[in-house]
Order: sequence, then structure tokens, then C-alpha cells
Amino acid sequence: MDQLGLLLEGFAGALTPEHLMWALIGVTIGTAVGVLPGIGPALTVALLLPITFRLEPSSALILFAGIYYGGMYGGSTTSILLNTPGESASMISALEGNKMARAGRAAAALSTAALGSFVAGTIGTVALTFLAPVVADFATGFGPPEYVALMAVAFVTVSALLGPNLLKGVASLLVGVTIGLIGIDSQTGQPRLTFGVDALLDGIDVVIVVVALFALSEAFGHLLTGTGHSTVQPLRERLMLSRSDFRRSWPAWLRGTALGFPIGSLPAGGAEVPTFLSYSVEKKLTRHPEEFGHGAIEGVAGPESANNAAAAGVLVPLLTIGLPTSATAAVILTAFQSYGLQPGPQLFTESGPLVWTLIASLYVGNVMLLVLNLPLARVWARLLQIPAYGIYAGVLVFATLGAFAAGGTTVDLLVLCGLGLLGLLMRQAGVPVAPAVVGLILGPIAEQQLRRALTLSEGDPSILVSSPITVFLWVVVALALLIPVVLPVARKRRRALVNVGDGEES
Amino acid sequence: MSDATTSRETAQPAPDPTPPAPGSVDRGTVLASAAFGALMLVAAVLVIVDAVRLPDTTAVVGPAAVPLPVGVLLGAVGAGLLVDSRLKLRVAVSGPPWQSRAGLRVLALVAALVAFALLLPLLGYVVTATALFVAAALLLGAPRGWQVVAYGWALAATVFLVFDRLIGLTLPAGPWGF
Amino acid sequence: MERRRSTAAADDQGEPGAGRAGPRRRWYRFAPLAVAAVVTGAVVVTAPVDTAGSGGSALRDVIGERQLRIMAPAAPGGGWDQTSREMQGALRELVGRTEVYNVAGAGGTIGLSQFVRRTADPTELMTTGLIMVGAVEANGSPHSLADTTPLVRLTTDYQVVVVAAGSPLTDVAGLVSAMRADIAAVSISGGSAGGAEQILAGLLAKAVGADPAKVSYVAHSGGGEALTTLLSGRSTIGVSGVSELQSQIEAGTVRALAVSSPERLPGLPDVPTLRESGVDVELQNWRGVVAPAGISPEQEQALEGLLVDMTRTDAWREALDRRGWGDATLAGPEFEEFVRTEQDRVSRVLDEIGLG
Repeated sequence: MDQLGLLLEGFAGALTPEHLMWALIGVTIGTAVGVLPGIGPALTVALLLPITFRLEPSSALILFAGIYYGGMYGGSTTSILLNTPGESASMISALEGNKMARAGRAAAALSTAALGSFVAGTIGTVALTFLAPVVADFATGFGPPEYVALMAVAFVTVSALLGPNLLKGVASLLVGVTIGLIGIDSQTGQPRLTFGVDALLDGIDVVIVVVALFALSEAFGHLLTGTGHSTVQPLRERLMLSRSDFRRSWPAWLRGTALGFPIGSLPAGGAEVPTFLSYSVEKKLTRHPEEFGHGAIEGVAGPESANNAAAAGVLVPLLTIGLPTSATAAVILTAFQSYGLQPGPQLFTESGPLVWTLIASLYVGNVMLLVLNLPLARVWARLLQIPAYGIYAGVLVFATLGAFAAGGTTVDLLVLCGLGLLGLLMRQAGVPVAPAVVGLILGPIAEQQLRRALTLSEGDPSILVSSPITVFLWVVVALALLIPVVLPVARKRRRALVNVGDGEES
Repeated sequence: MSDATTSRETAQPAPDPTPPAPGSVDRGTVLASAAFGALMLVAAVLVIVDAVRLPDTTAVVGPAAVPLPVGVLLGAVGAGLLVDSRLKLRVAVSGPPWQSRAGLRVLALVAALVAFALLLPLLGYVVTATALFVAAALLLGAPRGWQVVAYGWALAATVFLVFDRLIGLTLPAGPWGF
Repeated sequence: MERRRSTAAADDQGEPGAGRAGPRRRWYRFAPLAVAAVVTGAVVVTAPVDTAGSGGSALRDVIGERQLRIMAPAAPGGGWDQTSREMQGALRELVGRTEVYNVAGAGGTIGLSQFVRRTADPTELMTTGLIMVGAVEANGSPHSLADTTPLVRLTTDYQVVVVAAGSPLTDVAGLVSAMRADIAAVSISGGSAGGAEQILAGLLAKAVGADPAKVSYVAHSGGGEALTTLLSGRSTIGVSGVSELQSQIEAGTVRALAVSSPERLPGLPDVPTLRESGVDVELQNWRGVVAPAGISPEQEQALEGLLVDMTRTDAWREALDRRGWGDATLAGPEFEEFVRTEQDRVSRVLDEIGLG
């Protein structure tokens, strides 16, 4: 079948004034919920489902697509401006983005995030349109042993995130892994580290940890130092994105997309892992290593596009094999089913026109987000003129709202508070907080997949290297471990040779 | 509690969480890392005790297989931080002082959060969230006045309007309906 | 009126605004107040009007004008969430607005532990089901369904045993002999520990005479994730809800060996039941509704009557069709008896698996 023709028909369906209005409402709601920590697209779509029953299917799907992409985008705005990630996948954007914002480059950081999201979202949607079956085949090749290897790759590359003091970085990572152990062990149903508290049985939500460690600890920090009046000069330059910013950003956008889309399409890949990998890659490849940790634009551009490409990737298994791989995808699946769309192998043959309208609406939503957000970057940046006391009082209101939406008990708020104090101690001790979140996300996946793999093989560890994908990934692990050791030696030797040559000439 | 002059008027930028340059080690940072190391040692004990307590299962790799090494590593790194801090304490110099009653302010914010959790079901979202906003802003040093309340109320009411009324996430309501 | 009062307050104090630099116009400082007033007005105006329907008058006698609240003890998108939200839709024409909220986690036991505190409140309902019965056992939860008042069973979803398309196993007989030969070598991927799939795995092992404790069960957070392990060719068989796998079976990505229903299912007429394949096992992943303990018999009767009426609405029939759920309406003492036997059976199986 002629996919391009079908897609054009889909555009014809999506580009009516009424549909454009729904797309606009969708991206606006999506951005709003993405900004708020703890309230994501999943909850929003679930809540809106009963209301949208009265809409015709294509309008509702366009609305949901807008919420979905808008949510992914909105999370990064607060990350960059307030150091308060709205979603766990935009945590990495806070590392460099917030530093840029504090240096008066908020507009540049927001613009590169908006453009990167657009580029990644568009490429991701194109890949979804034309490569979905191929990517789905690749994704279903991933079983527990492959995930173990992928997690090993992620763990060896996060060294880029550990900061200048290795001991403190590792300490933070371990604290995160330990927090990840809390709750019911999913393989055996045994509660671990819950100390009899019911609300801990399901573990501690990543978003709560992120908000507590990033935002709450900063509010506490201002209390200690009495810097509640401080403001940040938001805009120091006239141009939003200078030529050199752009030149440094676009390769990072493409690399981020290349990592985000395939890993996002993996059923247990998630949107966070590619952002970690992208940050590491950018830090390794940059020509400005001295800027990392002080606001390097690549460190925003890469992870931000990885995050959005992963959001498109998640739709691949959903549409092609009917596999919901995240909470949001599960809710979207429910939405599809409410409108008689049955995602799965026969989706394209059975409900053709509607699917193409949906895919077209993803493009429309993406453009809409760019149109909305690029001019607004300067407006958002002005939020920084609010003094710290206003910002952090507001962040507290949003953080408690998120904690309420996530669990709704006093214990959740106490956990938020306790983790905020832990974050304060880490901040005072110069321990970076990002590795803790990385450990919290990677640790449980690595543990569960390792134990699944060993259960499948009845304890035989050779299953871990039993397929070409695993062998390839373990080679990547070996290279990642060896290159930092070998490369400086080789460089030194080459420099020594050059020096020797110089000596001979003189 | 140090009686150092507060820096309320000076609008200095927020403290940078990265450690100070080598050579000049901040005494506060060293003490905080020692406390963090001690906390990790405590956590290590908790993790190991909890893991040992887990019942034996028939699974190939049981639920205690990962917590045990994590606990040991926690202990080792925690001890490492303690030793490291002990060594650095000799060369450490005093950093910038905290503002007066800094500890009390942190405790007051914690108390405000707890009060928020307890009062939320009784007074509804808008009133409690406004109170939390006002408490936090005043503790952080906002000028006193009705404007803080107005800002807080505007924010809380907007959140309530958008999430409860428009999206349908039911937030707790007080006797007056919001 | 309000505005004038605040003007006076501002004049008294003469505080600087929010610390903004530069010259400001006078009206500017009243902006937050104006926003607060307008938004509060909007909140008041949009207060929900209770549009009580004509039905449910028996219910109105016992709970008055209060609104029913339904707890979905799972995350948005899960089975209990879907059930609760479909109920919300079907109840609209009977009693007007109801509220659904989620308390996610740990197979519903976190929700249950909150729910048991709502003693004797007839406006609080919770969706529940087999998975909660299993999770209560597996997690050693201090509360069980015995601490609630079971009202009705609503739906059922049977389990299906599948293999990847390329698997050498073709029928239940082959599976049975493989399990008899070496139970640990037959890995089974399914949902969460103690959930319906693991219960079925234990029942299967028992039925073929193997030790349920030796089953290599690989737990996943959901049917979708379990399917990926099966499709990657690593696990011997997979167990999942029929409605989750229907489209995969039709497309041929997985092959169904048997279903756990008493009779063949209309959606999968070619797939035999476990019982007709010689394995004496039957399991349904039922879902129902409970109220808190301590409500009066009149309240219980009114709620049961309302929910049974709900299962007869067009909205509910249409929801069953759309979701592929089987109708399993059962109310009153029969349902309470059913819950008790399920608790006994599940706790026995999970004990044998080693999860009890």
C-alpha cells in the first residue's frame, strides 16, 4: 500500500479547523500537566476518557496525541528554569539546563529544548510511520538477557554523571539503588525495607524522589543560607539561539534521537535510559568539556531530544503488536479500544483511516508545540524574575499536589519531606543528586531482568551471552570500560612521540 | 546557633552545590559528608538486617541476592566517606555562615508540610495549599503583607480550577466546596 | 467591596510588592488579588450540580444526597481502573455523579489497607478481584476481603496458556509430558507475583502431579511485558488474560494451547479448555465490588440492588462487549460464599508454591 498517500489522506482528516483546535487544547493541557511533577499524561488521559466519549474518535485521538507529546515537552521547562523536573525523563535536562538558566541563558536552553524536541518528535514520528514493523521486530528480540546487557551499558556510561568526586558520586548512586529496593520484590512478592509501612509496599515513586532531591532540598538550602530574595538575571543576550549554539545543538539533537527512538521502542526501555546515555555521549564527544557541569548546551539538546524520540518510540510496540509498555501507553491503549481501534498486528488493515489520522495528528501536535513554545521561551524565562521565595513556595504547592495524586496519604508527604532533608544533607556535603535518581531507575530494572534471566536458565549464567545482541552489548561495555584507560595512555604516547620529534628538529 | 549577621538584604546567587576548589575545603561540607557517610553506614546495617530476615524461597535467585551486596557496598562507601572527611577535617576552613535560626526555619517548613498533610482532608485544597504557600514564602523571607496571601490563593485556586473542575482529578474540598 | 477592603490594607502596610525591580504602576500590585477573586468565582460557579437520576431511590433512602466514591486500587489503565471508570459511566444514569480515585500498588493491598479504615460508610466502594485475594496472601497483608462487605461480582476474564509461534509445543498433552519430565525446565512467564497467572501456574503443576514449589515462574509487571519475554523465545509458555492476548492469537504471533474456562469461549472457538485437554483446572480472573465492613443490612441491600441494576444498563452491556469481559454478575450471600471459597483455594495454592 502507498503509505505516503494514506498519510496525506490522514493529514486531510487532521487539518480541519476543528481538529486543529483539539490539537491546541491537547498540547496546552499536556504542557500544563507535564510541568507539574507527579501528574503526567497517563493520569490526565485516564481522567479525560469519560468526557471525550462525546467526541468523535479522530478528535479524541488528536486531543490525546497532543496531551502525550505536550506532557513530554512540558517537563523540561520546569527542569531548566526551576531545577524541578516535571517528569523523571527530563531530570537530565535540569543538570546543564538549570546551570544555563542561572547564567542568564534560559532562553537559549529553552529554545534548544524546544527545537530538539521538535526534531526528535518529527524524526520519531517519521520512523514510526515507515519503520514501525522493522523496529517492532528488533524490539521483540529483547528478552531478559538482552536487558541485563543493556543495563550494564547504562551503568558503565553513567560515570559521566558522577561528578568530580568519584567516591561521592558512587555514594549517591548507591543511595538511589537502595531506595529502589524499597517495596515488594516483584519476583517473589516479599516486602523489602518497608518496615511494616503499607504505603511503602509499592516502593517510592521516582517523581517524588526527583522532586524531593532537586526542588525541596533547594528550598531547604535557601532557608539555611537566607538567600530567599535572590533572583536570576534571565536574559543576558539578545538572540535566543546564537549561531554557535545552533552549530553545537544540531548534532546533539540527531544523536539524541538515534538513541531515544530505538530504546524507547523496547518494551522495558523507558524514556529515562536514553537520556542518561545521551548525556554521557555528549560529554564524551564535546569540544567544550570544561563547560559540562556549568551549562553546556549539548547537555540539554541531546537528552531532551532523546526523551521526545523515546516518546515516539513507545508508540511502536503499542501500535504494531498492541503492547502497552508504559502507564501512559496502557491508558492510550484503553482510549484506542474505546473507539474501536484494536492496536496489534492487524491495526493497519482493520482500522486504516483512523490510524493515519492519528499519525498525522502526531505531526500536527509536534508543529503546534514548536509554534507555541519557541516564541514563549522568552516569556517563560521571565519567570526567573520572581524571587526565590515565590518560586519555591509555588514549587512546594505543586510538589504536594503531585505527591497527593501519586499516593494521597500522609506517609507520601512524610516521605517527600524526609527525602528533601536527605537532599539537603547531600547538597551540603557536595554529593551530586542526579546519580541517586539514575540508580533508582536503573537498579530495579537491572535486578529484575537479571533474576528473570537466571530463572529462565535455571541458574545458568551463560544465558547472559546467549544471543548476538547480548554479545554486542557486552562488547560495548568492555569498550566503555577500556577506552578511558587506554586512550589517555595512547594520547600521552603520541604526545611523547611528537615531543621527541620536536626535540630532534631543534 | 551562630549569631552571625544575616544576609537578608544581599541578593547573592544561590549556593552552588559543587564542592569548592581543591585546597580550600569548607568545614561545613566536610562535616556534612561525614554525616552522610554515617547515614550510609546505618542504611547498610538496615539493608543487611532486612535482607537476612527475608524468608528462603524456592526461586533460583532469591529476594536477598541483590540487597546483600548493595548493603555491603553501602557500608564500604559510607566508611570511605567517613575516613575521607576525617583526613580533610584538619585542613578545612570555615565556610560562609548560615543565617540565624536556620535550623529552626527548616524544622518550621517540615512542620508546615506535616500540618498540610493533616489539614488537607478537613479544610480542602485551596485553603491548605494557600496556607502552605504563605508559610513557605514567609520562612524563605518574603515581605509580610496581604500580597503573599493573594498570590498563594490565586495559585491554589487556579490549580483547583484546572485539575478538579476541568480535568476531573478530585482534590479534597472543605465544607465550603473548594 | 472586597477590593476596597484590601486597598485599605495595602495603604496601612505600604509593603513593597513581590520584590520586582523597576517602576510599577499602582494597579499592578492588585493583579494577584484580581486573579484570586476571578478564579475563586470560577471555582464557585463551576461547582458540580448533583443531578440525581430517577433510579436508585432505595439508595437515596440510605445514603441521602451524598455522592458515591469508588476506589480503584490500581494505577490508571489497569483492570480495576477500567472497571471502576466503566461503572462510573453506567451509574451516571442511575445516581448521577460518582467519583473514582486510584490508590495504586502492591496488587491492591495498599488500597485495601486504606479502605478498611472507612468502616460503616456506605458511600465508599472499592473494586476488587482474584488478584487482590492472591496479593493479600503473597504480601502477608494484615487485611483481607474478610474485613469488607462483599457486594457483587461483576466481570470475569479467563486465562489462556500460549506459546510463541515457533515453539515445538503444539498441545496441552505435550506440555503436560514436558512438565512431568522436568517441571523446572518449563519456564512460565506471566504477571505479578501472586497474581492470577501464577495461581494458574501452581494449579497446572499440581494437576499434572508436579511440585508447585519447583515451577520456574517469571513474574512481570503486566501482561504486555510478559508477552515480550515469551516473544523473545526465552520462556517455554506464557499465561495471560484472554482479553489481553486475543489480537495476538488472531494474528498468529502466539499460539493458544488452552483456556482456563469451564467451556470454550465464543471469542476463541478453536481453543480447547484445560479440562477437556485432561488437566482438571479452572480459573477465572473475576472482578467485583465491596463496601466497608459494618454497614447495615438495609444499606448493603440497597447498594447490591443498585449495582445489579447497573449491570442491566445499556452502557454497562456495551462496556462488557467493548472490553471483552465476561458477565459474571453474582450478588448477595452467594457472592460472599464465593469470596470465601476463593480465599481458601488461593491461599492453599500459594502456600504450595511457597508464596503464602
